[in-house]
Amino acid sequence: MRIMFVTNLYPPVVLGGYELACANVARGLAGRGHTVQVLTTWCHLPRLADEPAWVHRDLDLHWHIPLKSHNPTVDQRDLHSAVCSSYANTLHLLDSLRAFRPDVVYVWNLLGIGGAAMLDLLNYVEVPWVLHLMDRVPLDIATNTPAAVLGLFNAQGSALYARARIISMSQHLLDEIEMVSGITFPQGADIVPGSADVSEALPHEPYLRDGIARFVTAGAVSSHKGIDLILQASVRLKAQGLRFSVDIFGDGELPRYIDMARTLQVDDRLHFLGPRPQADLLRLYAAYDAFLFPTWEREPFGFAPVEAAGCGTPPIMTRNCGASERLVDDVHCIKIERSASALADAMGRVATNTLDLARIGRAGQRLVLSDLSFTRCLERIESALQAHGKGAWRHEAADDPALPLLAFLKHNLSVRLRFG
Amino acid sequence: MRKALRVAHLTPAYFSPDSVVGGGERYVYYLAQALRTAGNFEQCVFTVGAENKLFEHDGIPVRVLRNESPLASGMDAFSAALWRELPGFDLVHLHQPLTLFGAYSLAIVRSLSIPAVGTDLGAGEDTLMLSARGIELLDGIISISLYAQSLIIRYFSGLHEVLIGPVDTDHFCPAANAAYDPNMVLCVGRIMPHKGIDRVVAALPPEQRLIVAGRVYHEPYYNLLREMAKGKDVRFVHDADDTVLLELYRSARLFVQASTARDIYGTTVAKPELMGLTTLEAMACGLPTAVADTGSLPELVPDSRFGRVFANHDDLSAILRDVAAGVWPAPEAGTLARAHVVAVHGMETIGRRLAAFYRAVLAHPRRLR
Repeated sequence: MRIMFVTNLYPPVVLGGYELACANVARGLAGRGHTVQVLTTWCHLPRLADEPAWVHRDLDLHWHIPLKSHNPTVDQRDLHSAVCSSYANTLHLLDSLRAFRPDVVYVWNLLGIGGAAMLDLLNYVEVPWVLHLMDRVPLDIATNTPAAVLGLFNAQGSALYARARIISMSQHLLDEIEMVSGITFPQGADIVPGSADVSEALPHEPYLRDGIARFVTAGAVSSHKGIDLILQASVRLKAQGLRFSVDIFGDGELPRYIDMARTLQVDDRLHFLGPRPQADLLRLYAAYDAFLFPTWEREPFGFAPVEAAGCGTPPIMTRNCGASERLVDDVHCIKIERSASALADAMGRVATNTLDLARIGRAGQRLVLSDLSFTRCLERIESALQAHGKGAWRHEAADDPALPLLAFLKHNLSVRLRFG
Repeated sequence: MRKALRVAHLTPAYFSPDSVVGGGERYVYYLAQALRTAGNFEQCVFTVGAENKLFEHDGIPVRVLRNESPLASGMDAFSAALWRELPGFDLVHLHQPLTLFGAYSLAIVRSLSIPAVGTDLGAGEDTLMLSARGIELLDGIISISLYAQSLIIRYFSGLHEVLIGPVDTDHFCPAANAAYDPNMVLCVGRIMPHKGIDRVVAALPPEQRLIVAGRVYHEPYYNLLREMAKGKDVRFVHDADDTVLLELYRSARLFVQASTARDIYGTTVAKPELMGLTTLEAMACGLPTAVADTGSLPELVPDSRFGRVFANHDDLSAILRDVAAGVWPAPEAGTLARAHVVAVHGMETIGRRLAAFYRAVLAHPRRLR
């Protein structure tokens, strides 16, 4: 198949699992013999040495940029380009459709590149497209765009997505999108969970070596991932005299949390180690006793706890986050209410050796090597793409010389209606 | 028998006190009636209003869609409900395409790959549609006069037709027993400065009387007219329905349309009189006319036997004196005027030409769909 990926970010520019998963799936499908093209945004970082030639960084990025303006007008203008319409990006997508002639367009995260206008274009030319949801992209488009502007792109309600095949990493995510925005997917959705490739993982080391509980977490260092809760729980464990350490990998609000750890006097237990490549983390997890994941309830899934589970490191995770659909409490993980006390209790059970960590670790590994393996999930994705990408689409509509004019009209109307 | 073509007329407002009572709004109904005479068309008028509703006008369904625009002007109204309302139509006739309504609606119509014909009825000069060439997304344009065509032709390279009319010549016809007032001069139109009614009042000789029929849309101008009319025989009729209007057409000796590109306050009017519908209605009733040399008006009176054109106060004064003295028009002027309107601007003529144009557009799409 000829598969055209559209994604806002692509490694080495990543925010989290969404971008990494996109890159892994693109490589995986290319490895299975498909002709792949990735349409994504510029990269301000040194490119990866092995970046494939089929990655096209033609798109502009209007969001997720480190420096945001303090001018609300500029901020709103960026937001519009990010979620609704970026004319240059729409044209790049059109050029790619014309040149690459994909069998299917595989849409990932659209925030930052003008998603509504892009999806409208895909619908216009009737190319089969698949939307892979690992975050609430439709909701973000809908709630950050005035209704009158959405109407230009047939994006009021669910119509914008009616032609798409939907892949979601959790039912939890679909439910959230429907509950908050009213957008539904009556065509159904394939639930393809977050997965991990732990083929390079090391055998797990003995648990609680030297009587010390070694906790780890990885991801964005921010409150929504529960870093505050980890600090507060650590205070309680230290007060109980338990022997433990917490290694925190990732980027984010490091100065704030380093200060907080110092203020709470747990800086001797918590170590902020910065971001690490995914492959390095998969090798490191084997040395820890549990993975801390007290993330917010709206977490669509969470790759990191699955990866940790695949390495035999049981996750302690929020009871109703996306990944909890797949991991069973006290079988593959320990589930908690999202609070410092619940987290402290679970960490305390680890530190006092009242949990059978080895049993949970083994069960987690088995799950990730079977249902949640990258290979199995890739097969499901491939089959969804093949089923949906069989239909012919309107090449002649894409080649219509007037199509850029139509996109131009819509883009400028959207700007006028939003900003006057 | 060929399958009936389904045509959707899109218009930002509809002819009603609930919406707008103007020539542009009435024109849409007239055009739909004209097309009906050609046969084998199914039509629906879509417009925008305060709330959703459906009614019929003279047998043609009118679907009012709730306005979703955040802007106040009626010409800025629009509705995204067109996405679900328009599929299944063979062709869309977009009225007032140079407005925000027109641009928004055209974006949807074109996205649905429905061929579209546009007609500027005088509202708006949207830069996105003109200088940015959004209007090129139309498959054809029907202009309501050569003058209207001249304003738009440089922006559009597709099929273009000029249809002046239609006029309902069955309704607007002379009385069986003509008994007009030889001294009565008639003006019909909204009371607004660019209609130039002040010019008629100023030129009115003492022996003639003037009736001005139309709603007041500009109160200061109306007050000015009343001040100017002191000492003259001038009467204003604000609530003339179709029956009263017809009687007025049948009673007068002369119809005057004095619209101006620069009104009495010095304001320049961008597109004065793309088509003087009331002039054609008057002529259909057998009423000779005098029109200003503004916009399309001279196109309406190609024969000086039943219509004259004036450029200024002196010209108009001379025409009015000729009428008062019985020098002009000749007795057969009314018959000639009506015959001209029936032949060139009547329902059947316009309906036939409109149907032919729609079919030409459908037969020769500007692009693949």
